[in-house]
Amino acid sequence: MTDVPVLSVRNIRRSFGEHAALDGVSLDVAQGEVVAVIGPSGSGKSTLVRCVHQLEPIDSGAMYLDGELLGFEHAGNRLRPLPPKRVAQQRRRMGMVFQQFQLFPHWTVARNITEAQVRVHGRSREQAGERTAELLGKVGLTDKAEAHPRQLSGGQQQRVAIARALATRPRVMLLDEPTSALDPELVDEVLAVVRDLAAAGLTMVIVTHEISFAMEVADRFVFMDQGRIVEQGPVADVLADGRSDRLRAFLSRYAQTRDTRSAHV
Amino acid sequence: MTATAAAATGELPDVDVATARHRFRPWRWLSGAVIAVLTFQVAWFVTHNDRFEWPVVAEYLFDPNVLAGLGMSVLLTVLAMLAGSALGVLLALGRLADFGPVRWACGLYIGLFRGIPPLVQLLFWFNLAYLLPRLSFGVPFGPTLGSWSTNDLITPLTAALIGLTLHEAAYMAEIVRAGILSVDPGQRDAAMAMGFTGGQTFFRVVLPQAMRVIIPPTGSQFISLLKGTSLVSVIAMTDLLHAVQTVYNQTYQIVPMLIVACFWYLVVVTALSFAQSRLERRFGRGQRSSRGEWLA
Ligand SMILES: Nc1ncnc2c1ncn2[C@@H]1O[C@H](COP(=O)(O)OP(=O)(O)OP(=O)(O)O)[C@@H](O)[C@H]1O
Ligand SMILES: [Mg+2]
Repeated sequence: MTDVPVLSVRNIRRSFGEHAALDGVSLDVAQGEVVAVIGPSGSGKSTLVRCVHQLEPIDSGAMYLDGELLGFEHAGNRLRPLPPKRVAQQRRRMGMVFQQFQLFPHWTVARNITEAQVRVHGRSREQAGERTAELLGKVGLTDKAEAHPRQLSGGQQQRVAIARALATRPRVMLLDEPTSALDPELVDEVLAVVRDLAAAGLTMVIVTHEISFAMEVADRFVFMDQGRIVEQGPVADVLADGRSDRLRAFLSRYAQTRDTRSAHV
Repeated sequence: MTATAAAATGELPDVDVATARHRFRPWRWLSGAVIAVLTFQVAWFVTHNDRFEWPVVAEYLFDPNVLAGLGMSVLLTVLAMLAGSALGVLLALGRLADFGPVRWACGLYIGLFRGIPPLVQLLFWFNLAYLLPRLSFGVPFGPTLGSWSTNDLITPLTAALIGLTLHEAAYMAEIVRAGILSVDPGQRDAAMAMGFTGGQTFFRVVLPQAMRVIIPPTGSQFISLLKGTSLVSVIAMTDLLHAVQTVYNQTYQIVPMLIVACFWYLVVVTALSFAQSRLERRFGRGQRSSRGEWLA
């Protein structure tokens, strides 16, 4: 892991009006690394992954995928934004999983996974179909290939969404709270799939509130607050005592909500 | 009383609701009677009034001129609907554009062409030659590449097509815009995230989902456009209404000829309604239907 980071974010900022959602964030993600992003609501976690995926523009800073500048190109000695076609090409090398799944409801499960392979990556229908079958097997939904998304449970939909993002073999996967919209009993089936991906060596950035799961799969924790990365480092270090008050406050509040939740269940 | 009795003895009365008789419903009887009387009266009026001249209706129902007029009305409707929808989609996208001037221009167009009655527009386009004797085409402030006399270009057919299309486009733009706005913006994000281009995202992901919202009002638009084609008879366009008018101007059999026109309008509208419900089913795939069933 001495080479260029797969993903490199350098001092990026993003403001909505007066409010800085990202206030100078820098982050490197190495090949095969799993980074868990934690932090209170509104701290800018979603904005970070949306900016990396160029669904949201950044105001300043720079981002690189495998050393390639994202969203801009040099023209002579000036920088200019990439045309939309080139941005689309860069997005193809990343995978994104949304909190609300965002499967395409008018397509079957199989077509959700196949379509981008065919339309975006130019694979033949047969090749794409084989890959789709393989991925559906991986997430344990082979029998749902011809179902429509709304006929599936939330957990099943999110597993399809993960398969869809994997279909085009992304260099890095960005997951924004993949289990937050799920009923508690459905969380584990999705986490199991993510755990398999981590074990298979996929590079991932996971925004999550599942601290114990993150401790298990992540190589590194990133703790965000008010648009900044306040703490980051290997899991054991970040969670060790003596770290910032804000992280301690966050973790203890998290522990409390976790306790009240389990008390109710 | 029985409840307290049952509670006291601890036993429930032995009853089967299947043996219950229907409740007497006076309003149903009354409304049924009113409808029966009205139906009978209308039927009597229609069959016993000689002025309907049913034999004349039968004679002209399949008259070649009437059928040609019908064909023209349907053709105008279909062409204006197709062109109007295409222009409407562009206008809807313009209304949702990031670039202010495009947004305003499209908004202005929609405001104008929805506000002016189609009859006035038809007359206006038909009389365009008064305003612009020649139409030319070329580089702005540069050389002219072609030039035509407006009177040659603006026939009743082109005036009717232009007027109906521009009017229809304004309505379709609002319908399409509402459809696009009904789609979760997260769907667009998801499609873009997968590397679909803007065009693929719009035509493959957003528009198919917007269709559920777009189709029902579009069906109504289609129907009002068909009826709206009757306006073109004022610019001597040989549509269905014009065809029957031509006949009754000679024979003075006004009522039976209007019935011929009504008959054909109703036939086409019924066929359209049927096609609409088929389309709604098709684009409802993967969605819960209003009856709570799965449509697959
Ligand atoms: N499109 C937007 N318009 C205006 N403000 C926004 C927008 N998106 C995000 N914000 C603001 O930016 C800040 C960061 O939001 P973000 O969604 O990234 O937080 P988050 O860490 O993902 O929170 P959560 O845990 O609740 O998902 C918030 O204050 C939010 O209100
Ligand atoms: Mg978020």
